[in-house]
Amino acid sequence: MVRATKHTGLGRDIKAPRARPAGENLTETHRRYAVTIAFPSLRAHLLLGLLLLVLGGQRAAAQNVEESQVGRFQLAESFLRAAQYERAIGMLEDLYAESPGTHVFYERLREAYENVKRYDAAIALVDEKIASESAPTSFYTEKARLLFLKGDEASARIQWQRAIETNPGSPSVYFLVYRSLVQLRLFDYAIEVLEDGRKAIDNQTLFQTDLAQLYNLTSQHGKAVEKYLELLALNQNQLNYVKTQLGGFLNSPESISESIEIAENGVADEPLNRSYRELLAWLLVEGDEYREALEVYRGIDRLDREEGRVLFSFGLIAADGGAYDVALEAFDEVLARYPESASAPEAMRGLAMMQEKWAETLGEQVFDIAGTRQERNHWDEALETYQRFLIEYPQHAQFPDVLRRIGSLQQDVFFDLTAAEKVLTEVVARYPQTEAADQAAYDLGRLAVTQNRLEDARIQFSRLLTRLRTGDLADLARYELAQLHFYQGDFEAADSFTRAMQENTSTDTANDAITMKVMLIESMGPDSLNTPLRRFARIQLLTRQREYDAALHQLDDLMEAFGQHSLADDMLMQKADLLARTGDVEAAIQTYLEVPLMHPTSFLGARSMVQAASLQARFVSHDEALDTYQRILLGYPGSLLIPQVREAIRLLRGDGV
Amino acid sequence: MLMPRLTRPLLAAWGLLALFLAPPLMAQDILIPMDDAQSDHLKAYGVTFWALEREVEVDWLLNFRGGSFLMMREAEIEAELRVRGVTYEVVSGSQTAAIISEVESDAANTALVRLEKPPRIAVYAPEQTLPWDDAVLLALTYAEVPYDMIYDDDVMEGALDEYDWLHLHHEDFTGQFGKFFNYRSTPWYIEQQRQAEMAARRHGFRKVSDLKLAVVERIRDYVGGGGFLFAMCSGTDTFDLALAAHQTDIVPPEYDGDPIDPDALSQLDFTRTFAFHEFRPVFNAREYEYSDIDSGPPPQPLRNPAVDYFTLFEFSAKYDQVPTMLTQNHVATVKGFIGQTTNFRKHLIKPNVVILAEAPGRNEVRYLHGTFGEGTFTFYGGHDPEDYQHFVGEEATDLSLHKHSPGYRLILNNILFPAAKKKKQKT
Repeated sequence: MVRATKHTGLGRDIKAPRARPAGENLTETHRRYAVTIAFPSLRAHLLLGLLLLVLGGQRAAAQNVEESQVGRFQLAESFLRAAQYERAIGMLEDLYAESPGTHVFYERLREAYENVKRYDAAIALVDEKIASESAPTSFYTEKARLLFLKGDEASARIQWQRAIETNPGSPSVYFLVYRSLVQLRLFDYAIEVLEDGRKAIDNQTLFQTDLAQLYNLTSQHGKAVEKYLELLALNQNQLNYVKTQLGGFLNSPESISESIEIAENGVADEPLNRSYRELLAWLLVEGDEYREALEVYRGIDRLDREEGRVLFSFGLIAADGGAYDVALEAFDEVLARYPESASAPEAMRGLAMMQEKWAETLGEQVFDIAGTRQERNHWDEALETYQRFLIEYPQHAQFPDVLRRIGSLQQDVFFDLTAAEKVLTEVVARYPQTEAADQAAYDLGRLAVTQNRLEDARIQFSRLLTRLRTGDLADLARYELAQLHFYQGDFEAADSFTRAMQENTSTDTANDAITMKVMLIESMGPDSLNTPLRRFARIQLLTRQREYDAALHQLDDLMEAFGQHSLADDMLMQKADLLARTGDVEAAIQTYLEVPLMHPTSFLGARSMVQAASLQARFVSHDEALDTYQRILLGYPGSLLIPQVREAIRLLRGDGV
Repeated sequence: MLMPRLTRPLLAAWGLLALFLAPPLMAQDILIPMDDAQSDHLKAYGVTFWALEREVEVDWLLNFRGGSFLMMREAEIEAELRVRGVTYEVVSGSQTAAIISEVESDAANTALVRLEKPPRIAVYAPEQTLPWDDAVLLALTYAEVPYDMIYDDDVMEGALDEYDWLHLHHEDFTGQFGKFFNYRSTPWYIEQQRQAEMAARRHGFRKVSDLKLAVVERIRDYVGGGGFLFAMCSGTDTFDLALAAHQTDIVPPEYDGDPIDPDALSQLDFTRTFAFHEFRPVFNAREYEYSDIDSGPPPQPLRNPAVDYFTLFEFSAKYDQVPTMLTQNHVATVKGFIGQTTNFRKHLIKPNVVILAEAPGRNEVRYLHGTFGEGTFTFYGGHDPEDYQHFVGEEATDLSLHKHSPGYRLILNNILFPAAKKKKQKT
């Protein structure tokens, strides 16, 4: 990566003059380089300024420039600007012949030759300088550059070598040649020169950052890391600089793995150098190798007695990167090794959260489809970890949040409503005005619905909505209120809530609200009490309350009584859903497939067949699922589910989509 | 094994439904309409290509219902059409005969072209991921048309011989690294420059412009030998720029380290170019423009997706079949879109080049076609037909949201046209 460098616009770094006295020590700043950008007009102005300075104050000096020469020089400049190169060159040649010691005449004439690609003339001019100067090092590099531009790379290399030979013990000579090479983007040769310089001067600390940069530019990332390790060996505080420099080049898995290998060697050679280890760990994270990074951070934590701070920070990074298992391990280790450290409480909460994430990722359930308790899994571990937190850190700021999380787990995962209510009530009562209390209030409302305490639920959601008014939680509470009215047969009130919600389509609950509204519009009647819809709403409430058998029983009654109602397709679909929930997959598939046959014009036709195909793919056979999906394409070509169906077909037939 | 109690009645019911939905028994052909009845114009090309791969002969009905496709009816094809979401109609033998008769009638500007063999497609693009999309790659990927990616090394090693159709997109054959001067410090630019310089040195060239010229010369030979070239955006004008500058240096020192040849303008050789002549390169390294071939984005009042459009020319389907194939569409006007090269100045186009589409009232050409030796070239201005102005770093266009894109259809016409069986001229 080209580093940010102050440019004069003259193609050279202002802090790095063309020639330096031999043996002068070079600073990092001096060694910086950049892709050369030529600004002819700026350059000309500076040269002219220099000339005027010479004329204004140095009449008595060695360079005796006539007044008229200034005018002619300015005229030559104007010819150059007008692209009348030959006329300008003629004038500049005269000026140079009259005053060969005036550097600006030489400089401008050489540049003019270059502009018209008269490289031989430019080289001859430089040759004159080489012959006349006592320290011609910079002119050798100049000649080399011109030879290269002319296309004679072999001769150019001889001149660069000659430049080095003028003072092979001086870093500045190598730096001069290196700059000339970088200007021509000859990075490999520049590396060679700087490496040779190190050997010749017998100083392996020279040119570290320049070499590292060159190695990066030539995709030799491992060698770049070697140089950066050398830099860190001298000064560990340069770690952030090194990361910044390396970061821009780590854009492929190969570059990362190459860098990691070298950093690992560095750590093996100097295990006590913390910056080495941190660099290695950072590289591993860049390569998504979180488990290996954990090992490195573990080492740093132990070596520097960080008491788990480093491990905890890494755990957060791994969690952000989706490496829940590694984050879990990092938090676990903080707790195991440093139970008294300041990071321990947050680590314990993080551990439980990671256990939850793991359970979600693996699709774990506490009860199977038939309601049988499953073996202990990550959900159990998460619950236990949260409970440990409560015991060990009762005064911690995250106590209400952890308590609320326990309540949510009890309610939604373990279905222990009594325990959930107790915990959530405690959060609301003891920690009012907290985010945890709001969430707990919402959970308590849901819990009341599940326990058929609908008035309690309404109070909870109403209070929450009054308190929050806006935000995701408020929207959820609003939708719950709409549902409560729906369950209770108060369809007008439900409709007014859904109307308010569907206006803001950006919310997550807007779609649910629209679905409810459609059902309300389409399913009224036939009597003034809307009996079928009222009874159907009740069945939906029973389903939510996990009263599946009762729901099924009532649904059968409803279907028998109102088999021709506009809700008939919804009823059949609901029945299939309930059968699937009770584990009767065979009957569920069959019922789903009945929906399009019994109600060929229903918009639920495609959806029910998709559900059937999905169950067939999971529990029966891919061929049957494929057949069902194909039938959906035939029967419902305009359905919104068609893209999903096409993707499912391709997945099942292994198209690699 | 699950065997539901109601399986038999269910199957019977499904059988009846299938019978009801099934087409008449005598039906024997599939017509893929390409007019407004089509649900996914872009995927229709992909299925046609897929059928050709299975040695199914396809008739391209030029100017008939938007350039429809007709092929033999096979269950496998029907299933694939359904899975890919392409609208089709099953037509009987007599209906097919009527359609063909109508298409071949002298009274209508329609024609039938037999497509026989799927072309082998190469896309000229670097392996390195660059922060912009490539409309052809997007179109081929969405339409599920297989292709290979090749780049400088492959071209230099003679890989072009293996392909019938070559695509160039946002490419810079002048060796100025896309003239992305303002991005010269970004990692992708540095990597792009480094890769190009390494490739140049690998092939014995000091400068990238020399390598690119060599590549362009190979492509020129490929077209001369019968290849089909399709170029978009800056792949068009830089191609001819490189050819014209084969004996001079038009690259500013910011990109190649040495100055522009002072006699560059007089040294341009327009006898080597495909489509353009009498143009002037832009020598300013900081100007995001290669030459005056490109007229640039529309003038400010028209630089608006709502009013910027171009019109397709109509050709005689029976006598000018190639231009007709290239302009098949369900609309006559296509919405405009901007690229590094957007429209070609009409007065810089060689007289033997066929203009396929132009921006009305602006003397600017959007789409052109010509022949060179045994092959043909097609140049299409602009970057992404469904993203009015695609900026560096923007996300690629999701073509599932533009299934009917007329601008993308023009690209896909190009991939099918090499599949056409060569007919003897009626004259």
